[in-house]
Amino acid sequence: MKIALAGNQNSGKTTLFNLLTGSNQKIGNWPGVTIEQKRGTIIGTDFELIDLPGIYSLSPYTAEEEISRRFLLAEKPDLVINIVDSTSIERSLYLTTQLMELDLDVIIALNMTDIMEKKGVHIHVDKLEKELGLSIVAISALKQTGINELITLIKTKGYKKNYHPLIFSADLENAIAKVAQYVKGNHKRFISVKLLERDPLFDNHQIPSFEVAINQLEKAFGTDIEEAVANQRYEYIVGIIKKAVTVRDVGITTTDKLDRIFLNKWLALPIFVVIMFLVYYLAVGVVGSFTVDLVDGAFAALSDWTRNALAKIDTSEWLISLIVDGIIAGVGAVLNFVPQLIILFLLIAVLETTGYMSRIAFFLDRLFRRLGLSGKSLIPFIVGSGCSVPGVMATRTIEGDKERRMSIILTPFIPCSAKLPIMALFASYFFPDHSGLVSASLYFMAIIVIVISAIIMKFFFKGNLSPYISELPNYKWPHFRYVFRDVKDRSLSFIKRAGTIILVSSVAVWFLVSFSWGFEYGVPVDDSILASVGNLFSWVFYPMLGELSWGATVSAFQGLVAKEQVVSSMAIIAGLAGDVSEGSMIFGAGGPFAFFTASSALAFVVFNLFSAPCIATIGAMKQELRSTKQMLLAISYQIAFAWLLGVLVYWVGNLIGVLV
Amino acid sequence: MLFNKSKKIAKRLKVGEEGHLSDLQLNQKAVVLALHNDNPALRRRLLDMGITKGVVVQIKKIAPLGDPVDIELRGYELCLRRADMRQIDIKVIEDENSFSRQSK
Repeated sequence: MKIALAGNQNSGKTTLFNLLTGSNQKIGNWPGVTIEQKRGTIIGTDFELIDLPGIYSLSPYTAEEEISRRFLLAEKPDLVINIVDSTSIERSLYLTTQLMELDLDVIIALNMTDIMEKKGVHIHVDKLEKELGLSIVAISALKQTGINELITLIKTKGYKKNYHPLIFSADLENAIAKVAQYVKGNHKRFISVKLLERDPLFDNHQIPSFEVAINQLEKAFGTDIEEAVANQRYEYIVGIIKKAVTVRDVGITTTDKLDRIFLNKWLALPIFVVIMFLVYYLAVGVVGSFTVDLVDGAFAALSDWTRNALAKIDTSEWLISLIVDGIIAGVGAVLNFVPQLIILFLLIAVLETTGYMSRIAFFLDRLFRRLGLSGKSLIPFIVGSGCSVPGVMATRTIEGDKERRMSIILTPFIPCSAKLPIMALFASYFFPDHSGLVSASLYFMAIIVIVISAIIMKFFFKGNLSPYISELPNYKWPHFRYVFRDVKDRSLSFIKRAGTIILVSSVAVWFLVSFSWGFEYGVPVDDSILASVGNLFSWVFYPMLGELSWGATVSAFQGLVAKEQVVSSMAIIAGLAGDVSEGSMIFGAGGPFAFFTASSALAFVVFNLFSAPCIATIGAMKQELRSTKQMLLAISYQIAFAWLLGVLVYWVGNLIGVLV
Repeated sequence: MLFNKSKKIAKRLKVGEEGHLSDLQLNQKAVVLALHNDNPALRRRLLDMGITKGVVVQIKKIAPLGDPVDIELRGYELCLRRADMRQIDIKVIEDENSFSRQSK
């Protein structure tokens, strides 16, 4: 049995999906978290459940809504669970009236019943069930109530069959019946309505006699047919709601009160700046200063212990070096930053679940529009501060093609969590007392880079601005269970990457730094294979480093593999160059990175933050842009921009150094 | 500059007066009279979201920069840009400014 989960955006589909299937799909409090269909199996059954992106109607508006419509029409699930947000039931039932026209059985999961009373809504479920002719289960996906009843109803198939109630006026229903005679196959009623509405999807099935019928109806209704159909759907819903729902005025809600502060004319922008500042300040500055030395010390002890232990059992020198200077140094350098990342992930998860993100999109829309972007571009940006790949994919909720393409190219400019180790490493060494401040400033620099880039890109991407139509979700307390799981998942995935990609890359770097072209082991690092390759390109970074450094050059290139690999590579190179490998001694005197000054350090960080993203993100960009050419142009632009900015930072930094 | 230089302040519509949804001010309530047909895709979406003839709308929140605007209709809240709200004709039915909302 195949079951589809369909409903409006932000109605809790994915929360229910996770509950029913025991999976861990990402949830959040903004419209459009789910952008692809997700599949799972309902616990204790062999029923396949498909979570579809949120839709408001079966006339799709954005790319991810089209996915849902196509699925429902073409894949013919055995059952549709229509999740209805009880706190906005009138609008939610609009989609229900369309689902009822499909040749599919539909049951309603009436969600958020835990908060509807607080909003002054009371739904008489039995009456609603009778009026709609559909089986209804009242649930709360968040509080996990009503879930067993829902599963039992599905298992026993005790739900009502879809009998396509006639909800429109007599003349419209007559026209639908007439058109239906010409329609073959499934979903006759749905397709007939769409034909009458002149839906472009069914253009090639139109025949002249339909047009005659449409014109007659339009004359009778005094409006065009699309509006008449929408009107009648809502009239039908309002009629039902009068019988089955009572609403009382609850006055000012908590959400309204909070919005008076967060959307206040004067406070909104400062609050936003403070919140974003705190995210980076707390993660890098406050937490980092506590944990980095601690974790670093642990890794230094581990590498000493391993070195001695291996030496005792007569392990050959190169193997000790591979394990200690390659693997432990490379992987350890990255794992150092896990405590900071946990805090970053925690703060992002809170931002995503409270509903504040939609507010930022709401109040920045006006600014963003001037830049040729949509307020909704902000969602990819914030998601991108965790990882650019889902950030780039989150652009699917943006309606306009122009805004979408610009957002895809701009999202990688936001420092993702893998770039945090680079920021934190340099900031804590060169600006030990202000590492939080420096990291937060780099975040705001990213915003400036985005603004400048958007202004430049406006000349290349033509097209009209698309409208901005979005719901403002209610504020919610972050749900501990989900926040915890989100943080855990992201942290584990970072650690997993350290144990896979970074580990393999570390071994490769160790090999290339330990051997010469003649495969001679133990040569001075400056004679190694990697050094000779790096020396070919080190001139590229000369203008921002003031030094021909093959080590910095090859490390920057490795950012393509994964951004944290930059740190890992530097740790290995510095370790092999010196006598002992100590993570914090990357910049130690006499070492390959001793030349770094405050301004060249900042310039190097800036280059790494804003140049081409990692290969995974490049892949996502190509997929979402649906153009290799545009992807390559975007990458070239990012590299060029980052290089210029790096050089600028270096020289401005030097100038300040001279003056102060 | 980033913002409109000369934004003319629209005259506050009184109860019974007609205008565009974009003319409506904070807490004013109006009934929708018609939707223009300049942009069929937008119109379709607005209809789907419940902005149909006869529906009652109220301006609930205005973004700090004056745009977009959050309106309440059919028991939920929807954000729209003023430019798109110009496509909707309305008639004012209640002017909440005459008595304070909090006192209710």
